Amino acid sequence: MKILVAIKLVAALDEDFEIREDGCDADPDYLDYQLNEWDDYSWEVALQLAEKFPDKIEAIPVTVGPERAEAGLRKCLAKGGERGIRVWDESLEGSDPMVIGHLLAAVAKREQATMVLAGTLASDHAYAQTGMCAAAELGWAHIAVVSRLDLDPEASEANVRRELEGGIEEELAIQLPAVMTIQLGINEPRYASLRGIKQAKAKPLETLTPSELGLSPQEVGEAGSLSQVRRMYIPEKGQAELIEGTPAEQATRLAEIIKELRGDA
Amino acid sequence: MARDSKYDILFEPIDIGPKTLRNRFYQVPHCIGAGSDKPGFQAAHRSLKAEGGWGGINTEYCSIHPESDDIHRVSARLWDEGDVRNLRAMTDHIHKYGSLAGVEMWYGGAHAPCMESRCTPRGPSQYASEFETLTYCHEMDHDDIAAVQQFYVDAAYRARDAGFDIVYVYGAHSYLPLQFLSPYYNKRKDDYGGSIENRARFWVETLEKVKKAVGDDCAIATRFAVDTLYGEAGIEVERDGLRFVELADPFVDLWDVNVGDIAEWGEDAGPSRFYRQGHQIPWQKYIKTVSKKPVLGVGRFTDPEKMSEVIRAGHLDIIGAARPSISDPFLPTKIEQGRLDDLRVCIGCNVCISRWEIGGPPMICTQNATAGEEYRRGWHPEKFPKAGSDDTVLVVGAGPSGAECARVLLERGYTVHVVDKSDKVGGCVNDIATLPGLGEWGYHRDYRETQLNKLMKKSKDSQLALGADAMTADEALAYGAEKIVIATGSSWVADGTNPLTHEAIPGADAGQPDQATPEQIFSGAKKIGKRVLILSADAYFMAPSLAQRLREQGHEVTVAAGVELGRYMHFTLEAPNMHRMLHELGIEVISDVWASRIEKGRVELYNIWGDGYRREYRGPGKLPRSENKTHKWHEFDTLVLVTGRKSNDELYRELKARKDEWAQHDVKDVYVIGDAWAPKLIADATFEGHRLAREIEEDDAQHPKPYRREVAVWGAPHMPGGKVEIEYQE
Repeated sequence: MKILVAIKLVAALDEDFEIREDGCDADPDYLDYQLNEWDDYSWEVALQLAEKFPDKIEAIPVTVGPERAEAGLRKCLAKGGERGIRVWDESLEGSDPMVIGHLLAAVAKREQATMVLAGTLASDHAYAQTGMCAAAELGWAHIAVVSRLDLDPEASEANVRRELEGGIEEELAIQLPAVMTIQLGINEPRYASLRGIKQAKAKPLETLTPSELGLSPQEVGEAGSLSQVRRMYIPEKGQAELIEGTPAEQATRLAEIIKELRGDA
Repeated sequence: MARDSKYDILFEPIDIGPKTLRNRFYQVPHCIGAGSDKPGFQAAHRSLKAEGGWGGINTEYCSIHPESDDIHRVSARLWDEGDVRNLRAMTDHIHKYGSLAGVEMWYGGAHAPCMESRCTPRGPSQYASEFETLTYCHEMDHDDIAAVQQFYVDAAYRARDAGFDIVYVYGAHSYLPLQFLSPYYNKRKDDYGGSIENRARFWVETLEKVKKAVGDDCAIATRFAVDTLYGEAGIEVERDGLRFVELADPFVDLWDVNVGDIAEWGEDAGPSRFYRQGHQIPWQKYIKTVSKKPVLGVGRFTDPEKMSEVIRAGHLDIIGAARPSISDPFLPTKIEQGRLDDLRVCIGCNVCISRWEIGGPPMICTQNATAGEEYRRGWHPEKFPKAGSDDTVLVVGAGPSGAECARVLLERGYTVHVVDKSDKVGGCVNDIATLPGLGEWGYHRDYRETQLNKLMKKSKDSQLALGADAMTADEALAYGAEKIVIATGSSWVADGTNPLTHEAIPGADAGQPDQATPEQIFSGAKKIGKRVLILSADAYFMAPSLAQRLREQGHEVTVAAGVELGRYMHFTLEAPNMHRMLHELGIEVISDVWASRIEKGRVELYNIWGDGYRREYRGPGKLPRSENKTHKWHEFDTLVLVTGRKSNDELYRELKARKDEWAQHDVKDVYVIGDAWAPKLIADATFEGHRLAREIEEDDAQHPKPYRREVAVWGAPHMPGGKVEIEYQE
């Protein structure tokens, strides 16, 4: 069986940054890209299963993104796995989680995967929807925020735990094929070795376009999205005031401020 | 990034006499071991700080005459034309960066032992130095006073010729001018003794004469201990201190003020164990209430926030710094550029100072491995040669040595993987920084942790793998790195092995529930009993620090010391207050003893001088001295073994033993650094990591390349035009 692991390079902001001219995103000049933290955990889940059942399970990282996203695939492949898949063309700019989920579902069908794993959320946009959108598109069973996964590739269902509020754990059985989103802390992700990093550079990455996956231009990008970013902005912060002067002057000013805030002034 | 406007005040120029200081960052005189005999070291170390943005930079104390000869310690000297030539290198290089060069003219009185010159020093009265062993000075008459004042004037001319902009009359640390001022030394009955005006006379006259001689060309500074901390027996700031400032102010262009004396000058160069940033302000702040001239002072200022605050508050005009300028010569530039997280903050360990106290080997710094290596190794703290190969490097261990090695390799552009069992960078520093008073030592870790994280972000294939399992030789070989650096540190021994007997102590076993190593105390895994006995043969901080910690936690603590307790802390100026602390906490110290055997709940100690003092040959198998019969049992609930350290070198030795497997794994070389090579000071472990990273392309990079030596050269006379042939009086 194949386990497809959806990964994403997330954008991290520098200390100083600016909003893009169209006002819909941060200026890419100020962004640093790194693998989404959750993806380290979901990839580790897949790798451990592939190692436990070496002839029965293949783990494949998949990402939707421009060429720079290959760094994320290579980062995964440095730890294990033999190949990766990247989906992209220009038409995908502005796609929302529905479109990404649609694309992931198409890859899952193409690969005849039995399971799709994704991070619970990505640290940049924090939608926490992509995995579930893929499940909806595939019509598969799905569980979000998974903290433990027991899988026997011969069985028709998997056992799963989820952490709930107040320290309660929920144990579920889920019918395969299935989509799961993985929570931080489910395992201890391994580090890549230098040998792994060097070998990953030579591992094959397949690049697919939406049309190769059977999606029309109307189904992707802003046209295919149900949501659209209208504006991204930095909210105004409250201004602190440094009260200067002698203790008596400071006390007077402090009293004024209190009165102003109470509406007495 | 630009600097924060709240620090603008630090970058305002200020006039001092005929000169202008370009900003408020000022390296006060401090020793480095260069003097005037290692002019390259002197010129490079000082001018590097000018490059790093310090507006004023000084020599160390600089002797004005052979009567003030401090050998066995290293001072600069301005005795003759040879010294002028050598110090000129320093001023020329400083001037390239628009900074001012200062010289601290020094006459030591009885504190200068004159072991090289064999002169007899002069002083206001005759006394034996409380600092130097067996030196008395000769009480000056009026001719002597005039002569010594002329030494200052003549030296000031030479200083001007050497290109100095600022000329000091040095009266802090209990040197000659203060000896006249303080009733602790000055017992005279004439017009140079008695009243404050009389006691101030020597210093004020000297300033006046020096100002008259060179004051048009040079700023006249004086370094003044405004309070000697003895109460009425010495100088008190609000009494004699301020009165002296009033009397001398007309002849001074710059006041450099501190507290304390020379015998306990750790009250000035306060170690972080006892003193925080700005600890002298309660005394220093008075000077500006009286003086019309710029005032500067030290206080291990490392934080621009605090620096700006003391200037804004009117306590000081200029931030004086010695240790912070060693730890980060680019401190002003980094503040200017808004790069506060790149500041390499002084940890206040005083290991720099220890080298002067030891007698003048080149200064070292725990934080800045390049300090003292500027000239002889060509190391710049902020510039690194590009990687000499595409080799990838695995560093095992993220302690002081490994983290520094990785940092410098990354700066050079190497791909580096660092692995450590701990979930934090820092190694032993993570434990040490939890000891009482040593929290600031954590800056050593913090700097490297911050830099590694920043550099790793830029080096996509590099990785910091913390919380990893201990690496085996198989894993290291298969890791895929061409070069492997082992920096696995050292451990305190569990069996009592020690530098006195070079053997284990019978019965010593930290595996027992009532015995513990320092690491076991740090981990908190072992229950510590009520009565603790610390058995120490370590000459630095571990035994006194653990004693303090355990006492403060409520245990009854006794220290049995086979070597002088905290011996090295004399050199770091921590010893006096360490002893006061032990006394105040009621910690009993049993000195000059060692342990012959240990049983459950008790240790047998003997006096190490308990064998006979008469030595005679008595035949094989027989000791040449009579038997030591001083053995006595001492009870404990917990025995702490601070007896010695041992390298954690198993991984290195296995990798070396499997050298024939290196090639099949594409491993080119394996190195060992830091405590894993041999236990040492954190400063030296840091240095080794740094050195290997700079020299890793060398064929034998395990061992240091030769450095450029500065020594007297046969055939080259010190005095211009002098002779070198062996000649005798006839």
